[in-house]
Amino acid sequence: MSEDWELAEVLDLLSDEYARSILAATSVEPMSAKQLAEQCDASLPTIYRRVERLQEYDLLEERTRVDLTGSHHKMYSATLSEFSMDLEDGGYEGTIERVSRADFPGEDETDTADRFTEMWENL
Amino acid sequence: MLGTALLDWAIVTLAFGSTVVGSYVGYQAYRGFRRNRSRPMQFLAVGLFLLTAVSFVLAFVGSVLLRQGLLPLVYDRPLTLVTRAIQFLGVLFIAYSLHQRP
Repeated sequence: MSEDWELAEVLDLLSDEYARSILAATSVEPMSAKQLAEQCDASLPTIYRRVERLQEYDLLEERTRVDLTGSHHKMYSATLSEFSMDLEDGGYEGTIERVSRADFPGEDETDTADRFTEMWENL
Repeated sequence: MLGTALLDWAIVTLAFGSTVVGSYVGYQAYRGFRRNRSRPMQFLAVGLFLLTAVSFVLAFVGSVLLRQGLLPLVYDRPLTLVTRAIQFLGVLFIAYSLHQRP
């Protein structure tokens, strides 16, 4: 995997409290911007700005979910699983490990269970 | 008689079909429980399995044993009672799942 990012920029991004909150929340379950605004106690524009920056570094992925009423909304989930920084031979090296697709086996099937759960819980 | 045999066969097939489909729904509920740590889904899954798989297996195995004479015929009605009790327990679980908060 070719890494095309600057260590300083990623450190800068991760130093942001909201960016970290977004990653933390979306590592548990996919969330919409509105849910994130509530969860992270931030305004929607703040959330969107952080989301955009996180997506630039491929730390957050976006999926479109269609709900029962037929409206579409974007759900975000964290792809970051580990970030580390090494100091060696007079230089820093950052490594980002992402959650691989294989960590979500049968994504389409699991959607059924998730949809079912959401539906049943909201009865 | 052919007619009776066909009817019996249709009854078993439909009961089996309900069990398979019911278990599939129960399985999705179980996955919903595992994936979302959802208590309602746990109760729903247990309820569906009791209602379909458990009661079907019990009734089916019981009727086979009764027909083969491995189980005395006096157990016929108690077996039906137990099967109905399990079905009742199943719907109780499902009803309870509606009132569980995630």
